[in-house]
Amino acid sequence: MSSIWDNCLAKLENEIANADFSTWIRPLQAVESDGHITLLAPNRFVLDWVKQHHFAKIEESIHEFSNGNLVLTLEIGSKKSSAPPITKVAKPVETKKANLTFLNKAFTFENFVEGKSNQLARAASIQVSENSGKAYNPLLIYGSSGLGKTHLMHAIGNAVLQKNPSANIVYLHSEKFVQDMVKALQQNSIDAFKQFYRAIDVLLIDDIQFFAGKERSQEEFFHTFNTLLEKKHQVVLTCDKYPKEIVGLEDRLKSRFGWGLPVSIEPPDMETRAAILMKKAQLVGVDLAQEVAFFIAKRIPSNVRDLEGALRRVIANAQFTGKEITTEFTKEALHDLISLQDKLVNIDNIQKTVAEYYKIRISDLVSKNRKQTITRPRQLAMTLARELTSHSFPEIGNAFGGRDHTTVINACKRISELRESDHKMAEDYSNLLRSLSH
Amino acid sequence: MAEQLPVNFEFRANQTFNDFFPGGNQEIIGHLKNTLEGTGEQQIFIWGESGLGKSHLLQACCHHAHLHKLDAFYFSLSSAAGLPDPAILAGLDKFDVVCVDNIEHIGGDPVWEQAFFNFFNLHRSHEHKLILSASCPPQTIAIDLPDLKTRLNWGLTLKLKPLTENDSIKALMFKAKHMGFEISPQAGRFLLTHYNRDLASLWNLLDTLDRASLAAQRKLTLPFLKKLLQHLL
Repeated sequence: MSSIWDNCLAKLENEIANADFSTWIRPLQAVESDGHITLLAPNRFVLDWVKQHHFAKIEESIHEFSNGNLVLTLEIGSKKSSAPPITKVAKPVETKKANLTFLNKAFTFENFVEGKSNQLARAASIQVSENSGKAYNPLLIYGSSGLGKTHLMHAIGNAVLQKNPSANIVYLHSEKFVQDMVKALQQNSIDAFKQFYRAIDVLLIDDIQFFAGKERSQEEFFHTFNTLLEKKHQVVLTCDKYPKEIVGLEDRLKSRFGWGLPVSIEPPDMETRAAILMKKAQLVGVDLAQEVAFFIAKRIPSNVRDLEGALRRVIANAQFTGKEITTEFTKEALHDLISLQDKLVNIDNIQKTVAEYYKIRISDLVSKNRKQTITRPRQLAMTLARELTSHSFPEIGNAFGGRDHTTVINACKRISELRESDHKMAEDYSNLLRSLSH
Repeated sequence: MAEQLPVNFEFRANQTFNDFFPGGNQEIIGHLKNTLEGTGEQQIFIWGESGLGKSHLLQACCHHAHLHKLDAFYFSLSSAAGLPDPAILAGLDKFDVVCVDNIEHIGGDPVWEQAFFNFFNLHRSHEHKLILSASCPPQTIAIDLPDLKTRLNWGLTLKLKPLTENDSIKALMFKAKHMGFEISPQAGRFLLTHYNRDLASLWNLLDTLDRASLAAQRKLTLPFLKKLLQHLL
């Protein structure tokens, strides 16, 4: 039997423009009781809009379908409740802890693909999960967005929880910490807030760069952080850059964040990207051929989220068409993405970006100049062209002043060696790759 | 008679999957339905040029979600008044399905980028579904916040294909039939060659023609159509 509100919706759907109906009317949740019908709006903005623009029509419909027996009120609220962490303080420790940690069970060490770019971060994370509060405290994982920092963080939490199901583990984004604190201040419950955060065994805070410029939150986090460390409770943090580089973060926090072990995650190399793709495919029951994985890895050089997005597209397309995932099929399925990538990254803009980075001229890169200050950037630009575009060695050589293809092969080899032995070169490569891939 | 036509009438037929002419976009509808029914992706990003039916699809998602007893919220970020207040995002994380139309408009607005990033993380942590649309692929949206940009690429990205000319004629006939009248392929071809070809404009025109044909008690034959359009264009 349909409710009065269902009848009203059916009527209003034909009286109010589509977009307005989907935004302001259908999302309202109705609660009927004792001669009243209360419509719940998700926030003040929606409530005010509905009151101002649609209240009369809604009231008229309610009146019609209830024969004038229901009084309409509008309130902010939801039939569902998502309890903020502070409310959990009052609950017994044993209460469904796993559901209160905000941990994503899908992120484990087993399904984290290790490569050169992330092996140190993975090893440190495993250490922390095995010796929580003792190994490295805090553990700080830093690197660009979409490289697996959050995955490692959840993996630590899941591993600790597996060993000790009663451990009090909380994962949250730094913004959530800020929001909870603001809410606690508004509701005069800052003591409960402090009590909650300072009683955590393992605190996993993602993206601490968002604390920048929020002085009150930094102050509160500083005290939480100190208390947890004093009690030898584990703190794990992630950041998109080394904390010393964050503008708007207090020096005392920058310094404390570096107390334990800061480890970086770099963009994955092609082999790791291919391995990630095969692993992700395997997790959804798809057997991805190595050749196909390498094809995608070559064309999507940036971050793991982009790789996942591309893989999703291929698998979804294969499932829809019932076709086998071959390289040809993948090429077709990713046609849009590949042509976009080609437009965004080509040899011209690689030369331009490298020249700007090293403060040399593009003409130097294609010249015969053999000074090391020119040859290294040239070799790096050739390597990036090989990594980020589909051009062949001879084509790349040609674009760099008509050089032979063997020169390009040697350049790629040399840069690969230098990335291992020379920290500066590894950093330059990583910075340029990041800037070209976004 | 034709002078009385309400040409600015807003098209109000319910936007559902059933009244969307898929043309070459059947796959997209399949993925959207799978997502809403719990067997598909958590996040879908649909992009394509304007007038292909992105808003229709997103509203159809909300309609479909409602049929499945899910709470769904749709809003568009394209409006003459500019971006709405980010306060519209408060509490939306509790909705099973949130559909955001024209997401590209938040690019370059730091307050909106940050607010949407916070909403995204919270909504995703509840394993709720997010469906986004834009006129361009996520990679080319001018988002300054890198953490948000990578997240937009995370889900399944699908391009809405434009209808071929033949499909556009079929779409007109399909839409007319849904509205309770018929137009011939010849009349459909005539409309396509003499009127704005984007689908939203064509649907509004169909509505106007339907009213005119009712008022005149005549079928929409080609000669009658030509006569009507002379007054409208």
